[in-house]
This record gives sequence, structure tokens and C-alpha cells, in this order.
Amino acid sequence: MTTPSNERLRTPLAVTLSVWNALFLREAVTRLSSGRGAAVWLLGEPILNVAVMLVIFTVIRMKVVSGIDVLAWLIVGLTFISVYKRTSSQVQNAISANKTLFGYRQVKPIDTLLTRAFLEGFIALLVIIITSAGAIFLINVDLIPDDAGMMLSAFFGLWLMGLGYGMICSVTVELVPEFGKVIGLLGMPIYFTSGAIFPLHSIPQPYLGWVLYNPLAHGLEVARLGVSSYYHVVNGTNLTYLYQCALVSIFFGLALQIHFARRILIK
Amino acid sequence: MIIVENISKRYQTDHGPGKWVLEDVSFVIPRNVSVGIVGGNGAGKSTLLRIIGGVDQPSRGRIERHCRMSWPIGSANMQPSLTGRQNAKFLCRIHGHEDDIPERLAFIQDFAEIGSLFDEPVRTYSPGMKSRLQFGISLAFKFEVYISDEATSAGDASFRQKASDAFKNMVGQASLIMAAHGEGALKEFCTSGIFINKGRAVWFDALDDALSAYKDSIKK
Repeated sequence: MTTPSNERLRTPLAVTLSVWNALFLREAVTRLSSGRGAAVWLLGEPILNVAVMLVIFTVIRMKVVSGIDVLAWLIVGLTFISVYKRTSSQVQNAISANKTLFGYRQVKPIDTLLTRAFLEGFIALLVIIITSAGAIFLINVDLIPDDAGMMLSAFFGLWLMGLGYGMICSVTVELVPEFGKVIGLLGMPIYFTSGAIFPLHSIPQPYLGWVLYNPLAHGLEVARLGVSSYYHVVNGTNLTYLYQCALVSIFFGLALQIHFARRILIK
Repeated sequence: MIIVENISKRYQTDHGPGKWVLEDVSFVIPRNVSVGIVGGNGAGKSTLLRIIGGVDQPSRGRIERHCRMSWPIGSANMQPSLTGRQNAKFLCRIHGHEDDIPERLAFIQDFAEIGSLFDEPVRTYSPGMKSRLQFGISLAFKFEVYISDEATSAGDASFRQKASDAFKNMVGQASLIMAAHGEGALKEFCTSGIFINKGRAVWFDALDDALSAYKDSIKK
């Protein structure tokens, strides 16, 4: 149909791009202005996190982990695991937090998931750069990457994994709210077996093999190897495995989004 | 032109699917025809408006919109923690008006008569304030079809006058789909009517016929 009005309608791509732009800016504003000193806490949280763990490691007198300084080991582990953690939890809550926006036909649930993931990835990258720079210049930790490309590929893999996992969770929590509790329970073992705060090389076989089913562990090990080529990665580390898991979960998450698109909007 | 095809709607309750609010509703709204929706309380007027406006999805059936259409004015879909200005900016962006945001914001602030409250979070607004803002925002975009759920009843007497003048000025450029309890408002703006009764909707080319069908159903 070519009525004059149709010529003024925007293409679907133009609509989606303008929605992404608007959502991104809006999320950024809420993220940085909600609550007192929200922007300060973005940096304060990971720094405190590292400080607390450092105290524990000092108490048990650990100075070197697998060939690198314990502080470098901790900072990389904690900031990189939060790429995954923040992205997945922000994406998981995107639908319920943006319900009012689905009143505008242009905005689809998937738009809110993707923009949140992009914003969170962006924030996580900034946090990593700022905390690392701070640690390098203020307390002289050797965090200058030996292989920045390797760190970047670990970062990207962890971010994709967060997006995929968040996508799956957002649909399941939306349709079966009780599932939120199960996901909360799952978070703990996933975190512990990722090797962020607990060196994996001390785990004997066959248990280590089981732990390495956790794709996050591979990302963290490779990120540490990127910082220092002297780091002894855990046997069986394979970044491709992280990417495989991430892509499968994104595919699965998208399929759920498409399949339940109507149900999500109706609810 | 808006084509509504075999739409049925029921809401999900805690005890499974509820009863049908709309059943197998079909009609076509031609271009430049303003339509009044009449029916008793709970007949499904707001549900139908929400489905036409795309805020809600039908359980069955489909709808085609060949026009630029507003959201249902008066239902405040705004983020309470953001300011009126931030909410308005967001809407400018999703409607593809990135380039002339300042002019549109000025228009909205002026029309809604909210002054410095424009930079306060929406949660601090009174309901009247909120609907005035909503109304101002919707007028900042040149929609071809406006959906109004009692929008002209928002605000005080002087704002109501302003709102109805704004609608009158648009005659010829834009049409309205509205639900209102006041017969006067419907007669002022609409030429055709839809009468909703017991989940069914009947199209009338003349609004008066829809109103008299509604009155007949009350008498029984």
C-alpha cells in the first residue's frame, strides 16, 4: 500500500536504532544518578572488593599465586568476573525494570536487554581500566598487560557469556518468578568455581575437570595470562570453550525471547 | 487506516485465564475518520484502546496500523525517577526526532504549563500534572491518529479548554480514537462510533447511531 502517510513512516531499522540510542542514554542517566554517589560506587565497589580479599590473603600469607603477584591475580580476577556478573544481572532485570516502556510500540523487550548489556560492558571496561591504572601508579602492581589482545578476548568472552546467561534468565524469571530464587542459588557455586577468589591450581583431579565445566574459569585464567606471560594457567584452560558456551547461550536466549515475545508483553 | 481483525482478549488471572473481555472483534477505521467508543463501565473500551495503541497485545487476532499513531494519551507511561524533561527527551528520541529536541522540549514545557517542575522527577507530580505533561508530549509529535482515553478530562477547567482547542485545531490533519463518558466530548470530535457490549464491538458510520444503540441497551 502506498498511501502518502506510508512514505513518512520510518524503516524498522531506523526505529530500532533510535530506540537503542534513546534507551542507552536513558539507562546511563539512571545508572549514574540513581541513589547518592551512584557513580562513585561504580568504582568504589570493586576497589573495596579487592581490599577485603587482599586482607584475607594477607592473613593466610599468600604472596604469589601461580607465578604472579597476589594483588595482580586478585584485581584481574575480581574485575573480570564482574564483567560477567554485572552484565548478566543487569540484563536479567532489564524487562521488569523497563515494563512501563513497552507501552510505546517502538520499544521491544529485546531492545532493553541489548542496550543494558552494551552499557554494562562499557562501564565494566572503564572500571577495569581505571582500577588497573590506579593500582599500577599508586601501589606499583605489575598490571601492564603482556598481551592486551588476550585480555580483550577474555573480556569479550565473559561479556558475551553474561549477555547470554542474562537473556535466558530474564525470560525464565519473567514467566516463572520462582526461578529467580534458583538462579540466585546457582550464582554462588558459579562464582566460587570461576577461580576469581580461589586459586584453581590447588584443586586435584578429577575435581578440577569438573570445575572447568564452568566457562567463566577459562576466561579468568586467560585474562591473567594476558597480564603476565609468567602466569601458570590451569591445565585444560581453553578460551574457545568460553566462546562456545557464550554463543550457545545467546542463541538459546534469543530463541526464548522470540518464542515468548508475546507472553512477555501480555504479562 | 487501521485494520482490526478478529481480535479477542482475555487477561491472565492468578487462577488461570480469565473471561473474554473482547471476543472476535473486527472493524476497519478509514483514514481521517474520528471514532468514539461507547459502552458501559467494564465493557472493554480501555482494553480496545490499549490494543489499538499497541500498549497491550490481543490474545488472538491481529491489527494493522497504516499510520503514525500516538500511544493512548492519559495513561502515564513514564519513569517516575527521571525528570519530566528526561522522559520527554526519551520520547523524542524513540520517535526519531533527535535533531530538534530543544524546540520540542520548549513546546512541551510551555503547553503542559509545568514550569520549573519540568526538571523535577515525575514521581513528585500530581496526577493532573502528569497527564498534562503526557498530553503536551503527544502534541509535540505530528501523529495522524491520536488515541485518547478520557484525555480531555485531565487537568483543571482551563487546561481542559486548551486541550480541546488543541484537538479542534488538528481537524483535517489528524483524527482521534477516543473513549469518553461525556456525550458532549464525543459529539464534538467524532463522526463515527463503535459500540461495545458483552465483548462484541459493532461499527457505526454515524456516531449518533452508536450512541442510540448504547442507550437502547441500557433501557433493556
